[in-house]
Amino acid sequence: MKQKQTTLAEAIASVADGSIVALGGNTIHRAPCAAAHELIRQQKRRLELIKTAGAYDVDVLVGAGVADRVSAGFIGFENVFGLAPQYRRAAEQGRIQVKEHACYTVITAMRAAVQGVPFLPIAGMLNSDLMQARGFKTVIDPYSGEELAAVQAIRPDVAILHVQEADEEGNGRIYGSVYEDDLMARAARRVILTCERLISSEETARVPELTTIPGFLVSHVVLVPNGAHPCSCGDLYDYDYDYLARYIEACSTPERFQAWLEENVKAEKTEKAVSL
Amino acid sequence: MNQVTQVSSFPTDAGGLTQDTMMVVAMARLLCDGEKVFHGVASPLPMVAILLAQRLHAPNLVYINITGGINAHPKSLPLTTVDPRLTHGSHSIFKLAELFDMSARGDLDTAFLGGVQIDAQGRINMSVIGPYDHPKVRLPGGAGSAAILPTARRTILWRTKHDPRTFVEKLSFVTAGGNVDRVVTPLCVFVKRDGRLQLESIHPYSSAEEVKQKTGFPVETEGVPVTPPPTAEELAALEEIDPQRVRLVEFKE
Repeated sequence: MKQKQTTLAEAIASVADGSIVALGGNTIHRAPCAAAHELIRQQKRRLELIKTAGAYDVDVLVGAGVADRVSAGFIGFENVFGLAPQYRRAAEQGRIQVKEHACYTVITAMRAAVQGVPFLPIAGMLNSDLMQARGFKTVIDPYSGEELAAVQAIRPDVAILHVQEADEEGNGRIYGSVYEDDLMARAARRVILTCERLISSEETARVPELTTIPGFLVSHVVLVPNGAHPCSCGDLYDYDYDYLARYIEACSTPERFQAWLEENVKAEKTEKAVSL
Repeated sequence: MNQVTQVSSFPTDAGGLTQDTMMVVAMARLLCDGEKVFHGVASPLPMVAILLAQRLHAPNLVYINITGGINAHPKSLPLTTVDPRLTHGSHSIFKLAELFDMSARGDLDTAFLGGVQIDAQGRINMSVIGPYDHPKVRLPGGAGSAAILPTARRTILWRTKHDPRTFVEKLSFVTAGGNVDRVVTPLCVFVKRDGRLQLESIHPYSSAEEVKQKTGFPVETEGVPVTPPPTAEELAALEEIDPQRVRLVEFKE
């Protein structure tokens, strides 16, 4: 059987430029940040990012020139640090295509992919200018004649998720909030899983219903303790307020941002990814 | 660690009533016992208002948030409202997708949604200032609002800024519109009646003049009552729920 357990560098090397990449977590919580940093180190280009609500992961990938399209309902650091500085600047300068969604349309688009249909109808949306601005189409219910918004399927090439526990076959357990991770795993062509802790496959077999991400969907599993940092990871660790505050400050000029990338991302190497 | 930003210099009346306190109390009073209530990202005021209503007059209210926590009882309140703390005390995880489904089928009673700009019809802009493709300012996006505003039975909007650029006659970009019931601001409460926002009450430290001057659409102030100031019971419960005044993070800048 093919060995799924790899280094972070090997796992991320499998992501092709131009890929559609779904990122797990929500705002500054359980986002796959170590993997995002590795995407930057490997100088990936032209990625499309899929997420309901993103913050640091999306912002730093846009700022580093890795992503040029973002499909999401919300990108921002909530009230803690406000607008996402790199994302905002890139959108205003026309460097990225903002494919604004309602969070529910991201979910519906992935559900369509899960079901193998080209689109799904959805309630709401019709009185939003996003219909026109984003080219969402409508369909007529053939039974009642009612008009509904139709959301086109999004099939990510890969979902990159960070979870608390996984076994060497990639069976992943998520404790606490799942966000859209389970849906992303099923909508995407494959999954790259990073985890805080490796557990045995005997353990996952003992309680299979605790497995949120089935291993057969996973192409790579990587042990990365602290892999969501600077975001929180369930009840294991909180988000790193000081790190994020320094990041926001470094985003004040392009030069300072580049220096920040050098110091915090490029020099980070992959020492976080424990060798196996 | 959480660091609550200290914000001072709010207009207060002689009793020391601040905008953040008046707003959460006004929001809490709008909630009914037994109803299912949701708030999304970036929503510290709704979070505190829901916990306050549960403590005071709505013990059977069902509190739902993005983390999937149901009736969470966090020991300390987070600054971000997607925080794992908002699952603490919950007996189940009801995922975000399930919440959206619930709203879509008409089973969500009340949603709290924010708007960077709000117009006279109670529609919100969370997307762009300027053209969509070449925005002057790229805003965060409406999160779930385009799906929830038209499908939740009612929506309560709130905004911590009240000026003519925030409350406008007509939006240049409508991120979402729909079943708006009330809008709570630092100065007043609007109710949507006959398709337009109309003043329901003016907070004690503000005035008809101030609200008129700071609202970008015409408002009728004749006969509009003063929002009853928080009672001693409301203030005591609020102090227990949010002793660090985490809610002030919404007034940053």
